[in-house]
Amino acid sequence: MIRPAAGGAAQAPEALSVVGRRMRKVDGLAKATGRARYTDDIALPGMLHGKILRSPHPHARILAIDTSRAAALEGVHAVVTGRDMPTTYGIIPWTPDEHPLCVDRVRYVGDGVAAVAAVDEDTANAALELVEVAYEELPAYLDPHDAIAAADGPFIHEPRKPGRNGNVTKVVKLAFGDVEAGIAAAREEGGVVVEGDYFFEGTTHTPIEPHCAIGLADASGKLTVWSATQVPHYLHRELARVLELDPAMVRVVQPPVGGAFGGKSEPFDLEFCVAKLSMITGRPVKILYTREEVFYSHRGRHPFHMRYRTGARADGVLAAVDAEIVMDGGAYASFGLVTTYYSGQLLTAPYQMPAYRFHSTRAYTNKPACGPKRGHGSVQPRFAFEVQLDRIAEALEIDPIELRRRNALGEGTRTVNDLRVTSNGFLECLAMVEDASAWRRKFRRLPYGRGVGVAGSTYISGTNYPVYPNDMPQSAVQLQVDRSGRVAVFSGASEIGQGVDSMVAYVVAEELGVPLDHVRVFAGDTDFTPVDLGAYSSRVTFMLGNACIDAARRVKRQVQKVVAEAWDAKPQEVLLAGGLAVRAGDTGTQMPIREAFNLAEAAFGALGATGSYDTPKDVHGSYRGATIGASPAYSFTAHVAEVEVDPETGFVDVVQIWIAHDCGRALNPVLVEGQMEGSAYMGFAEAIMEEQIFKTADQGRAGLHNAPSLLDYRIPTSLDTPALRSLIVESIDPEGPYGAKEAGEGPLHPSIPAIANAIYDAVGVRMNALPFSPPRVWRALQAEAARTPAARSAATPAAVS
Amino acid sequence: MEDFQYHAPGSVDAAVSLLRDAEDGKVVAGGMSLLPLMKLGLAAPGGLVSLGKVSGLDGIADRGSEIEVGALCTHAQVAAAEIVRERIPALAAMAEGIGDAQVRNRGTIGGSVAHNDPAADYPAACLALGATIATDRREIAADDFFLGMFFTALEEDEVITAVRFPVPTRAGWAKFPNPASKYAVAGVMAADGPAGVRVAVTGASGDGVFRVAEMEAALASSFEPASVAGVSVSAEAMLSDDAAGPEYRAHLVTVMAKRAVEEA
Ligand SMILES: Cc1cc2nc3c(=O)[nH]c(=O)nc-3n(C[C@H](O)[C@H](O)[C@H](O)COP(=O)(O)OP(=O)(O)OC[C@H]3O[C@@H](n4cnc5c(N)ncnc54)[C@H](O)[C@@H]3O)c2cc1C
Repeated sequence: MIRPAAGGAAQAPEALSVVGRRMRKVDGLAKATGRARYTDDIALPGMLHGKILRSPHPHARILAIDTSRAAALEGVHAVVTGRDMPTTYGIIPWTPDEHPLCVDRVRYVGDGVAAVAAVDEDTANAALELVEVAYEELPAYLDPHDAIAAADGPFIHEPRKPGRNGNVTKVVKLAFGDVEAGIAAAREEGGVVVEGDYFFEGTTHTPIEPHCAIGLADASGKLTVWSATQVPHYLHRELARVLELDPAMVRVVQPPVGGAFGGKSEPFDLEFCVAKLSMITGRPVKILYTREEVFYSHRGRHPFHMRYRTGARADGVLAAVDAEIVMDGGAYASFGLVTTYYSGQLLTAPYQMPAYRFHSTRAYTNKPACGPKRGHGSVQPRFAFEVQLDRIAEALEIDPIELRRRNALGEGTRTVNDLRVTSNGFLECLAMVEDASAWRRKFRRLPYGRGVGVAGSTYISGTNYPVYPNDMPQSAVQLQVDRSGRVAVFSGASEIGQGVDSMVAYVVAEELGVPLDHVRVFAGDTDFTPVDLGAYSSRVTFMLGNACIDAARRVKRQVQKVVAEAWDAKPQEVLLAGGLAVRAGDTGTQMPIREAFNLAEAAFGALGATGSYDTPKDVHGSYRGATIGASPAYSFTAHVAEVEVDPETGFVDVVQIWIAHDCGRALNPVLVEGQMEGSAYMGFAEAIMEEQIFKTADQGRAGLHNAPSLLDYRIPTSLDTPALRSLIVESIDPEGPYGAKEAGEGPLHPSIPAIANAIYDAVGVRMNALPFSPPRVWRALQAEAARTPAARSAATPAAVS
Repeated sequence: MEDFQYHAPGSVDAAVSLLRDAEDGKVVAGGMSLLPLMKLGLAAPGGLVSLGKVSGLDGIADRGSEIEVGALCTHAQVAAAEIVRERIPALAAMAEGIGDAQVRNRGTIGGSVAHNDPAADYPAACLALGATIATDRREIAADDFFLGMFFTALEEDEVITAVRFPVPTRAGWAKFPNPASKYAVAGVMAADGPAGVRVAVTGASGDGVFRVAEMEAALASSFEPASVAGVSVSAEAMLSDDAAGPEYRAHLVTVMAKRAVEEA
């Protein structure tokens, strides 16, 4: 039976000796000194190097592949094509539409067609040039509207049911409350209805570490795959399924990962290819993506075309929200089913909405597949919606922070779409950024060119359900205590730089009273760790943290029991802290924790425990789709951004962002601040710089990425990054570990609309399309100048000197 | 990257004869432009002749009416040199605004002018100031040197040894950088010097660096920001890329010209 959340929130901060302190990461030293060994640092004896041949066409039928010349090249050990691995896969079990290598159709420039294993990379590259593929080109769709409009085909994928449009991945239509009545009421009662069209440009993750995998099939029939993945468990399942192996004979090892951000949260072609090539050659095979391949493998943020209608009463209280969204999914489904739900489901907090409706359509296009990027599915709608709110505030002449306050959802409640909300520190977030940014002195009061903007958001602390239905826990750990006093934790969770392994150590040290460096965390190896579903949807601290508390408290109870007997005390009087067992109220009575562990081992046998966590099941409604977007807890965020706009060039300098985030409890404030800053940075990058542009047929090569390199794809360096000020709010969630919720994704959302709203405050133009790049802002200023004479004098170069 | 022969001769003469002998030989200085091209497979020289061991090419000298900058001087050196900062502050400012610190510490003036990237900064400075490019065999006026995108008057085996800049009465530099690479989306040097009043623009045109006669005429009668603020250039010849379309680029040329004059 699965035990309910261990929680531990009731603990007062003064009773905590580790949690809440500013601490280093347990793996920080190894990474900072270059000793951490990433996947590409691994070299195995006899290892071969693999390369994948990629399609030059955005859409084409594969007529024939001739690999004979490649196979004959000296130094080449194996060549595989799609026919060697014909089983389809997909991270969402209902939409398996990918092959490890294309079988009869390529769907984007960069789709994998064949793979070779050779003695070195140069030989592998040379072999790729000898693979002959005959293609028959097909019409390519680059715009989701075109793909949807082609209801009779040709289709990018065969429809799952006959008669359907094969270019549509998923449609979700949900309505809660009476939207039309709400809109009408807003109109009639002196309120306002704001309508707007928004475009969110797609962006990619740009982790420093490119994807890398090594396969090793040994003589006993066991397959080991090392991979820079953030979902070893799902990879484990898919490898076994696609390669038709017994899962018990497959092992996935996840070495330290150099950044992921959602870009490594599903299986990729290279993982199947190294496995298959190793099974054929009997030698280890490594594939490391080039940076270009990272760009084409993508799975980044979907471009969204959004239309919002938002009604508010005269006092600013929301009356109804209506959304129509078209999503550009790229060539494969990926997490798209979830993305389509998230595009609507996650908008219903932090504001109360009496009526809400959304209609989202995800289309296939012949471009790299989109998937989850930090703030999956909800960053785009949040941008549009928070700009809508700013427009409402302006129309009703209400301060935008005050407007948000009036609509705050509150704690211990349910949203309009029936999501259970427990703790909620949103009002405190608003108050903190309002004060810290000196909002009241600045809003609408700064000189032309300078402005401030506000935005709020919410995000899930994990999804309530795994991607494949099952009743097993979402997260689990195993503890093992040594006679030396050292505690080993076997954790299935994925350390991707966010600090999971550290979090595990903090929790276990807190519960068992051992020094931090006596906790060893062993993670990311399916052969000896229990299952955790992976580092996605901000689930890990909440779920794994609770699993750790669960396991540690089982050991703790045994230790307390034996020590209490020795001291003739009650078990709860035995405190474990600072490397000691101490009697409460009598600190003279104590023993080293190691002795306490030894007593427990003598009494109970080998000392260890497992712990697990699963979500409560009463946190959502019962309509179809109600489970997607449901989370055991939600984080809340508010940002204020201050910008300086150069009206002559359209260049937006984001001077500072104040970030207030309700993470429940900061288990280590340093890591929470790191997540807040990293999130705001990433949001800033998407707002101002990032642009995924693909060439059209008119430009020569349809579907070719314009900037698949870090020289051309614009992301900010530290020099471009605004001053970031993190303000932690702790609402102490009743079910989170010590009250903790997520901090890794929520704080990204408001950056973008806060910057858009600040640009409006600065120069009076609404930026409804990303990125707010200099030419776009300049064009908006030009358009505004053409409309109003006042703006004209400010925006023409001759007038400003 | 393709295989190549690597040479590191000790003199300009040796470099020239190695270039002559090599199959498809190329000079390499800082490598900041050439190596990325080789990595992408856009250049595949058979022989790479490094100037790294050639001495005497990295000095900056005051020659009275001219400042002479050795071909191997890095952008960082030029930006920091007292002589340059005092006598042609616009040139120091230009060098200081190239790329990032790593690029400034490796990239050289010789490489920059020889490469003649349409978005590079030095070509605008050379043209506006009326510089002379000195090579192993001759002197070439900037006016005759830059022949179009990635195209110069240099012969295949010719090595730049120095660039000489006449000291202007006044000169100013302004550039709007590409947010990723910091290359110029539009960069303008406006100068009033021995070569006359000149306005040279980089980054904006696909044909490389060019001068704007109308701006020069306006400045010649009054060297004021207002003189150029109303002069627009045609969008037709402008580059178009992800960072900026032609109209926006044309607009930037005017804004940067005005700011360059302000800086002068
Ligand atoms: C990230 C990045 C940002 C950059 N940003 C800018 C910028 O903002 N502004 C800017 O102007 N530039 C910029 N650059 C380019 C940089 O300034 C280069 O250093 C410069 O253009 C070339 O100098 P180099 O010494 O590195 O030349 P190399 O790369 O070594 O050579 C370039 C070319 O010049 C030839 N060459 C080199 N030296 C000589 C010589 N003495 N005689 C004859 N031929 C020679 C080579 O054969 C080659 O064809 C940037 C580069 C990078 C990588």
